[in-house]
Amino acid sequence: MLGLFLTLTGWVLERSYYRSVVAGAEEQLRLVIYSLMGAAQEQGGALAFSQGVAEPRLNQPDSGLYARVGDELGTVIWTSPSAVTTGVNFPSLQGPPGAFSFSSTQGPTPRFHLSYTVFWEDLDIEQVIFSVATDRQPFQAAINGFRRSLGLGLGAATVFFVLAQLLALRWGLRPLRIMAQEVHELEAGQRQQLSAAYPTELRGLAENLDRFVTHEQRSRSRYRNALDDLAHSLKTPLAVIRNGLLERPVDLGLVREQLDGMEMTVTRQLSKAAASGPAVVAQTVNVAQIAQRLLRALETAYAQREINVTSVLDEQVMIRADERDVMEIVGNLLENAFKYAHSAVRISVVVGTPEGAQSVVHIEDDGPGIPADLRKEAQRRGRRLDQIQAGQGIGLAVVAELVALYEGELSISDSELGGAQITVRLG
Amino acid sequence: MRVLIVEDEVHLREQLEKHLQGQGFAVDSASEGEEGLYFGSEYDYDAAIIDLGLPKIDGLSLIKALRDRLRDFPVLILTARGHWQDKVQGLEAGADDYLAKPFQMEELLARLNALIRRSAGYASPILSQGHLRLDTSKKEVRVAGDAVELTAYEYKVLEYLMLNPNRVVSKTELTDHLYDQDFDRDSNVIEVFVGRLRKKILPVEMIRTVRGQGYRFVAETPT
Repeated sequence: MLGLFLTLTGWVLERSYYRSVVAGAEEQLRLVIYSLMGAAQEQGGALAFSQGVAEPRLNQPDSGLYARVGDELGTVIWTSPSAVTTGVNFPSLQGPPGAFSFSSTQGPTPRFHLSYTVFWEDLDIEQVIFSVATDRQPFQAAINGFRRSLGLGLGAATVFFVLAQLLALRWGLRPLRIMAQEVHELEAGQRQQLSAAYPTELRGLAENLDRFVTHEQRSRSRYRNALDDLAHSLKTPLAVIRNGLLERPVDLGLVREQLDGMEMTVTRQLSKAAASGPAVVAQTVNVAQIAQRLLRALETAYAQREINVTSVLDEQVMIRADERDVMEIVGNLLENAFKYAHSAVRISVVVGTPEGAQSVVHIEDDGPGIPADLRKEAQRRGRRLDQIQAGQGIGLAVVAELVALYEGELSISDSELGGAQITVRLG
Repeated sequence: MRVLIVEDEVHLREQLEKHLQGQGFAVDSASEGEEGLYFGSEYDYDAAIIDLGLPKIDGLSLIKALRDRLRDFPVLILTARGHWQDKVQGLEAGADDYLAKPFQMEELLARLNALIRRSAGYASPILSQGHLRLDTSKKEVRVAGDAVELTAYEYKVLEYLMLNPNRVVSKTELTDHLYDQDFDRDSNVIEVFVGRLRKKILPVEMIRTVRGQGYRFVAETPT
């Protein structure tokens, strides 16, 4: 880019210098013609030029300045002494009278030529043509000299700028190199977080990476903990069952009770482990669409119950969460509503307040409602809902876990339909 | 009623067979999706129980394939994972109900019966036509309020006819749907059952013989 720019600049400069040099040459020649015209003397119907014309170079051989005066018929009236000694070919320029004709010739000695045609009164001839020529060599030398200096100068500038750029890049990219090094260390386990000293442009990226790493670690430890808890809490019922089977008669009630407990534990822990939770690079989820799909599915499954469903679903509600997690939350709540409803279920998905959550989901039914002790447990963190009531309990427990994971809010109250109303605020 | 079970876990499959047969169902079972697709396409079932996690062809694809072939018997899906995404996908693929494992056998039977009734147009477990009342959950029959004693097979014939009203049901169809494959099929047996059945439910005369074709249950009350 820089090279192109400098080349272009150089070219423009060179061309304008050239033009000015040539213009200067033409101007010089013009002055010579004017002085010749001034030096011409009318002698008896013809023009004559005295020996010492104003321009001394016209008298010196090989001076580089030559002149000739002729008429419209091509007859030469006068030739400068310089032109006589040096053979100069004047091109026959017959321009319109009153106008200058400028040209340049090649050949063994390149020259500039200027001619001027005038009407001269009181002469036997009608028109007088003044022709002047000068060697191009000195002008060319000046142009070449300029080109050389220009080339050197621009070349040096290019080198300087390129070097400067390289240095600037190296210095500017240094933080990125450091970051790459630190990420490498992160992967190798030698480092837990990125260091804080990054320029403003990179700070956003560094913070995002940090959050990503933290989230990864948290997810993994949550998973490990859930499976750990699961293994731990299954060992006891397994032991009880084994022992129970040794007795005669076997206490089937006890075995069944232990099995129920194992089932609940499995459901809880696995849904905790399987939950994705909020991610740094999270997809946006359309809550209304998920609710729509779930409603259709549940209406199919519960078709014979003929439950009347009303829904208010705002399609604009989008939250950043994992789609499966949202499906688990809404699915479990809706299923409970359908299961326990008498004949009516109502769901609404609306946009939250700007200061609060981004989405609010209300699910209501006209069933028996949820007992007070279960409600209190749901409000607190560290819920053991499943121990209180198996039926609604497991579903609610899973929902409460997920809502807590997303740092949302779950509240249980009475619905005006007569049964339970569950409100979830997320996002 | 004839039911298809497609479940790869052998113990669960055998338990399902046993319980369903105990309830009077004729049962075919497949242990993977390809076999399940073959059965489902070839034979006429009143319902199917399909596990979502199957080898060869998975449950979801099996349901879609059956629906593509216009096999429209109701399908109950069983899912071990219990994620809502699986349940919703199953229902969107064409299933009619879902049940998560582990489940109570009673619940499975109740849902299965509900599905079969639903596809015949009955919302409740009690099928009523005129003076005839058949309670599918208690397996009781009443005529004008009085209880009627029916043998297991007589009951099955009556239940099947009531759930397929106002169309001709051939003796072959009855045999296919009510008896397991290794039963000694003799269409005269069906005639005998129908004859005895008719006598027992008099004065109700809703079972008509269509000469040379089979029987038709004439339903007065629209389902």
